Amino acid sequence: MEKSFLLAKANLRKTKGQTTAMIILILLAASMLNLWLMLSMDYKQNFDRYHKKLNAQHVTLVIDRNNQKMREFLIQTMESDKNITEFSLDDAMYTVGLFTYNGGEVNSGLVFLEKQAAISRSIGKVELIEDSEIESGIYMPMLYKSEDIAVGKTVTIFIGSNKISYTVCGFFNSIMAGSHNCSMCELILTKDKYDELKKMGYMPESIVCSVRLQEKTESADYETVLKNAVSTKDPAAKITSNSYMLVSQSRYISQKICSGIISVMAFLILLIALVVIVSNIVNYIQEDMKNLGALKAVGYTSRQLIGFLFTQFWGISLIAAIAGTGISYGLFPFVNIMMISQTGIPYKTHFLLRPLLITVLILEGTITAAVWLSARRIKRINPIVALRQGIPTHNFKYNHIPLEKTKISLGLSLAFKTAFSDIKYNITVCITMLVLSLVVVFSGLMTENVIADITPFLDLVVGEIADSCININAETESRFLREMEADEQVEKIYLYNSLAVSHIGGLELWATICDDFAKVNNQNTVFQGRFPKFDNEIAIAAKYAKEENLKIGDEITIMAGGKKAEYIISGFTQISNNLGKDCLLTREGYERLGEMQSISYYLNLTDGSSIDDFHLKIKERFKDQVNMMVNIKLTIEGSASVYVSLVTMIVILVLVLSAVIITFVLYLLVRTMLNKKKRDYGIMKALGFTTVQLILQTAVSFMPAVIISTTVGLIVNSWVINPFIAVFLSGIGIVKCTFGIPADFIVLSGIGLIFFAFAVVCLLSLKIKKIAPKALLAGD
Amino acid sequence: MKEILLKTEQLSKTFSSGGTLQHVLKNIDLKLYRGDFTVIMGASGAGKSTLLYALSGMDTPSLGTITFQDQVISDLNSDELAVFRRRYCGFVFQQIYLLDGMSVMDNVLSAGLLVNKDKQAVVERTKKLFEAVGISTETSRKFPTQISGGEAQRVGIVRALINSPEILFADEPTGALNSKTGLDVLDTLTKFNEQGQSVVMVTHDMRSARRGNRILYLKDGVILGECDLGKYVRGDKERHEKLSDFLLKMGW
Repeated sequence: MEKSFLLAKANLRKTKGQTTAMIILILLAASMLNLWLMLSMDYKQNFDRYHKKLNAQHVTLVIDRNNQKMREFLIQTMESDKNITEFSLDDAMYTVGLFTYNGGEVNSGLVFLEKQAAISRSIGKVELIEDSEIESGIYMPMLYKSEDIAVGKTVTIFIGSNKISYTVCGFFNSIMAGSHNCSMCELILTKDKYDELKKMGYMPESIVCSVRLQEKTESADYETVLKNAVSTKDPAAKITSNSYMLVSQSRYISQKICSGIISVMAFLILLIALVVIVSNIVNYIQEDMKNLGALKAVGYTSRQLIGFLFTQFWGISLIAAIAGTGISYGLFPFVNIMMISQTGIPYKTHFLLRPLLITVLILEGTITAAVWLSARRIKRINPIVALRQGIPTHNFKYNHIPLEKTKISLGLSLAFKTAFSDIKYNITVCITMLVLSLVVVFSGLMTENVIADITPFLDLVVGEIADSCININAETESRFLREMEADEQVEKIYLYNSLAVSHIGGLELWATICDDFAKVNNQNTVFQGRFPKFDNEIAIAAKYAKEENLKIGDEITIMAGGKKAEYIISGFTQISNNLGKDCLLTREGYERLGEMQSISYYLNLTDGSSIDDFHLKIKERFKDQVNMMVNIKLTIEGSASVYVSLVTMIVILVLVLSAVIITFVLYLLVRTMLNKKKRDYGIMKALGFTTVQLILQTAVSFMPAVIISTTVGLIVNSWVINPFIAVFLSGIGIVKCTFGIPADFIVLSGIGLIFFAFAVVCLLSLKIKKIAPKALLAGD
Repeated sequence: MKEILLKTEQLSKTFSSGGTLQHVLKNIDLKLYRGDFTVIMGASGAGKSTLLYALSGMDTPSLGTITFQDQVISDLNSDELAVFRRRYCGFVFQQIYLLDGMSVMDNVLSAGLLVNKDKQAVVERTKKLFEAVGISTETSRKFPTQISGGEAQRVGIVRALINSPEILFADEPTGALNSKTGLDVLDTLTKFNEQGQSVVMVTHDMRSARRGNRILYLKDGVILGECDLGKYVRGDKERHEKLSDFLLKMGW
């Protein structure tokens, strides 16, 4: 062991540069691995920790009926259910409203609670994160803490045609309703403001029914059961609900995407590090053949010699792995800031032993395998053969690019000779460039479809986007339609209403009802089959269909308002609403189940029209008949900006990492090549080759592998990137990703990558300048 | 009157080792003539190789000038020296130094095509030179590790001559060879010298030195003496005796 340690130490001293570069690669892999494991193993657990801490509910129902009859019904229903461990009924005010946030609008079901009640509820109590001396005002979910929404500032909430302004007193954390992603968002008012709101009569007094179950995994099913029970009891009651399963997923979408990307990056960096280690060991064996032969001759066994390589790489990887995990703790707060903007749940970074152990295990395990696979060749070294001349390293069977016959210039010929003479270099370069071309394609795709113009991303994830959504009472519909069709500002108007329905034998689905799906802006929502055309057709989410084993052409039963009807599945959708538990119905199709009490229309306005001015005009004309108007563009902008910043940061991170990786890999290869070819370079200099000629020759020798692998990588990755991203987004219901491939960006980036590699090799090859031909004469 | 090919004035070379200055060449004034076979002899550490590096543009002097024909080469930078070497010099090394990754033919062509872009002409000349030194077509397709030491050194000579250099520098060309193959190499060098090729050779070996027509003896960085063997026929006993006397006088 001591001998192995001494040999390892001697070799490390000899190859300081390569060792440093390798340490950095392992360091990067370790920090990414640990970051991924922290995100996937603990970050999501934070939701459960807070859920437990706040004794949060598994199912929430907000019912716009706060009367004794409903209360008694709910108590009776829940007391008789053995699955329920605990429940509570609280007073609240509920409505759909909006407020501005992050340059856009948050449009959500808003649950107003009185401060004391919210803090002291037995189930689903809130935790005040920030409080102030301000005695009258509003407490906002901590997710919305921003420049505009801060303590002492005013927040204006728009409810239908009314608006109310409150002073922000502080911020709170609510696990099940602390974000618009929870399908309802709690807002806490001080007692005076709550009473004032009650008196205003803008919204009905409601009951918040909070339920804790024996099994939280059954929360989605129980949500449907309870909702159906309430609907059956009072078909006119408006119910908004959520479940543990929905909220725990919807608040962690970005965490899922981010950890997925980090894991891919981590494993790709690890792969490159392993390739570099293998290449390093194989080169070491070739270059130090005589030394190895000498060591064997003086009595070292193969086991001892392999052992010293293990000592060396285990040592390096262990130090790098531990240091890398340390770095990940430094990086985690930045990732946390990005994540919190979507989860809205505070997370305190703390030491996690399991991710550390797994990171070390993965690194040590893979590096052990790589070292073993590449070092076992030492066993075959015969000391006499090694001492005499070593084992020939060139393939002498074939003379690549014979100068006598080739038509290309001398410089290129010599470069290609080098390129073809060592397959290991080419493999390392190819794997690196294939990985980097995936990163380039991913970055290009994200830049084109999210950063530069988020529309494709929204089309895929959000589904339908128009300029405005106006919800009106059913009795005004015909007048509203008539006037809108006559209005010059209205380019297109179509019914686009969302309501909850139940799939008998399945779950509650979020149904989108449209009078004519041919009118919708996003025709890609149904990616397989077609939109429903007739009243007996339905399109359902592909994710849900897969879970329920449903196929196009199957017949399913849907229930709403106590009525049931049969529908044939005409197509599969992929909308992230309700995390892939949704369906599409024609208006006639839905009316087989019941009438719509209020109706939402989507409108596209003519170019240059101000959506807000148009809403003012509608408010004046239809007054109380308008329940709600949403500037969809502005609402989307608010939510989208979070994703845009997240994706921008990810793209920058992966591009910087790629530049670092390619530099280190090329550094290792060039250093090894220069050491190996030092004699050749000396001879060539003596013969009259200039330093510039040799640098260019070296750089060009890398180019066949760089160009071929980059080109192949870009083509293949452009082809697989959409399915690859669909895997990341599968959690939110996306099955088929249809992002446009930015061919020009990818081609330019590919060219940039090739030139970057060329420039890096040229820079790294400057060491050739130091190789003096006179060293040959001195016998060096 | 012989034409001066290369001359040095006050050529000095100093090395610094561990803070101590070592004057390896001291104010050497030397003229090398076209067509001569100049042999540089001397004991180990006399500065023979250092003088060869400096004369051939492999290294730059610390002081003094080296003029090749009318061009001062001692002021050139490393890339300009590389161009000088490729155009005017040929090198034969003790360790041969063929490029192992290239065939014998490509070893020569890589040097030839560096100067002459007319590939056909270079290939033709290579083949002629191979024939002249006894390297067969089959051997020319082999790799350096697949041929004998003697063959490899003859390939080295062909590579050195491919660009028809003004001077051929040879550093102990027989040092790594057995006596038989060493003799063959010396015969080859002699043959080319007889055809007009200027040669400067460093050697320890008296047998090799006999091939030269001008012997320089270097001691402690200065040229201690010079012996002209030009008037004696190669292989003649008198030539051998003259050289022996000279070396004896020099303290060999």
